[in-house]
Amino acid sequence: MNFTLIFKNNKETRSLANDNTTINDILNDLDLSSETVVAKKNGEIVIEDEKIQDGDEIQLIQIIYGG
Amino acid sequence: MKCGNPKIIIKRKQSGQTLCKSCFVESIQKKAIKTIKQENLIDKGDNVLVALSGGKDSVATLDILNTYKERNIIELCAVTIDEGIANYRNDGVAIAKKHAKRLGIEHKVVSFKYSFDITLDEIMKNPNHRISCSYCGVFRRWIINRAARDFEADKIATGHNLDDEVQAILMNYLEGNIDNLTMIGAKTMSHSPLFRPKIKPLREIPEREIGLYTIAKDLDVHLAGCPYAQESFRGEVSEIIKNLSKNHPTIMYSTLRGFDKIKLALKKEHKHDFQFDTCIKCGEPSSNEICRVCTFLDELGKA
Ligand SMILES: [Zn+2]
Ligand SMILES: [Zn+2]
Repeated sequence: MNFTLIFKNNKETRSLANDNTTINDILNDLDLSSETVVAKKNGEIVIEDEKIQDGDEIQLIQIIYGG
Repeated sequence: MKCGNPKIIIKRKQSGQTLCKSCFVESIQKKAIKTIKQENLIDKGDNVLVALSGGKDSVATLDILNTYKERNIIELCAVTIDEGIANYRNDGVAIAKKHAKRLGIEHKVVSFKYSFDITLDEIMKNPNHRISCSYCGVFRRWIINRAARDFEADKIATGHNLDDEVQAILMNYLEGNIDNLTMIGAKTMSHSPLFRPKIKPLREIPEREIGLYTIAKDLDVHLAGCPYAQESFRGEVSEIIKNLSKNHPTIMYSTLRGFDKIKLALKKEHKHDFQFDTCIKCGEPSSNEICRVCTFLDELGKA
């Protein structure tokens, strides 16, 4: 089981640990806060509780920069 | 859920409310319109100048004010400031130009180089430089005020959001800067006729929701961090508020509401007449003989 992750001009295939993986798990993995990021799943905006399935394309858009 | 659409794009922590894309977009527009109405931000016939960086806040401000232009309530114009930051500012300028063109709005790009004969990149190479944000704040304000007079604008609209406002309230309170505290608000008036009132239609909307709005509406925005952003007091205060918000999701709203309530009393108690004169060097309004811009330029050997 894999999904595609698009973040900061990078596109990569990642393996999916289980059926219950959510956007939030990915954010935690990347040490990102849901407060600074908007996520899209297969082109549509989703909330961080959204589950990721085999073959999904997940795009993370950082909308808030520190400083 | 408001409309039954199961495609939720936000779950608001402060209220538990969940919204689909179109309900969310509508809720943001309603919120801004409510602020504009309640705080009397615009009058029919106003020519409003938008300070348009191309970032999410200013693009959202332009997008919302454009609904007033479409209904022939106001006129719009825009100014973009090119600070002269290599590999950063050009993208924002290009996006700003595109929006102005798309909406048929008079637009001007004014550079630090043109106005002050020095770019921010050059300033930051000067060994005596202050932190970059000091120059940007002071220089931008100067340019925007001039542009407002050139455009004969009645108001200047900026993209300040809820996070910005709460940071400013806390920073000035913690620093005991009561003069600056009394200047915070939806509409900033000045005693000098050389200044135009500044309005902040988005000041009750959290920063993240403004970002989400621009993505939900497919508005092209410049999303990037300033290369000169560094540890600043504002950054530290912002961190505190973000941490507090995790367990107290309404804290920014209550801080703003509380401040707006005490502000009237504060203004009355703390009234003192700013002796506004004009800077002997550049002619812009200043409470001192020489304004901050001219002081900074002098330090940089540019006066
Ligand atoms: Zn809806
Ligand atoms: Zn001056």
